[in-house]
Amino acid sequence: MDEPQVPAITDEFAGSSKRRFLVFISTSILIAFVLVFISMYMYNSSGAAQLDLSRPGYVSVRSQAISDDGDFKNYSSTGTIDQSSITEFKTLYSTQAQKTKSVDAFGGDPLSPTALGLIAK
Amino acid sequence: MSKKILAVCLTLTILLSGVAIIRVAAETTPMTAGQIDQIRNNCVSTKNTLSQLHASDALLRVNRGQIFESMSTKLMDRFNSRVANNGYNNTGLISVSISYGSMLDTFRLDYKTYEEHLSAAINVDCWNQPAAFYDAIASARALRNVVHTDVVKLNQYVDQYQSAIIQFENDYQTVVKEVKP
Repeated sequence: MDEPQVPAITDEFAGSSKRRFLVFISTSILIAFVLVFISMYMYNSSGAAQLDLSRPGYVSVRSQAISDDGDFKNYSSTGTIDQSSITEFKTLYSTQAQKTKSVDAFGGDPLSPTALGLIAK
Repeated sequence: MSKKILAVCLTLTILLSGVAIIRVAAETTPMTAGQIDQIRNNCVSTKNTLSQLHASDALLRVNRGQIFESMSTKLMDRFNSRVANNGYNNTGLISVSISYGSMLDTFRLDYKTYEEHLSAAINVDCWNQPAAFYDAIASARALRNVVHTDVVKLNQYVDQYQSAIIQFENDYQTVVKEVKP
């Protein structure tokens, strides 16, 4: 019984195949870098980086982030307008407005040279 | 051929991966030897304080930002829609909520700028570049004050919307009285 004939692998065929493989790998790496570059650019320019508490350095505060604002009720955008619906909205709004204004966010002066001990008191 | 392709890929890869360019701020503030010593002596503790502030401000931005956002999307916009759907005049309410929304955008942008400057200040070598470190902190401090001003303005718009609701209520009662004398 004759053995099936396997076509001989010529040097030219092997070289071409190797070249194509290299091109394929190089192109894949290049595309990956381009996509990473674009996504990193978007991540930084959109302001998402500033909200990302999973970054290193935020470990101590990560658990304190409010993940559920369930106490902030949605007011229905449909329905009639009458005195009771206006009163309901006023009560809801007043409660949340109080919460919003309760913290003097970014107040104080923790970056003053005195506070940081950069100049002698 | 393949070597050329690889060389091109390598060059592009280096360019795209972004070579970290460390911008060294010009040391503009004239400082006495005593001030420089003071900064160098407190170098480590100041950096720690800045890192803690960086983290606590990020938390504040996330939590406050969420509340400011909810005021707009869960209350103001919804009430404006409901009033409009019922055919009442809501120009007063809409005017305040538009101003609030645009101030919220300003707040986001200003916080981003502040955070970038604070991060840059943290990365300045306070031992070798004390004046640059001092200037970077001064810059971050000014930007933090801008963010605080934005928060104050947002709170003012929250109050203004409350006044607009009362005005709308008065107008509504007038209309109702005219319909049912």
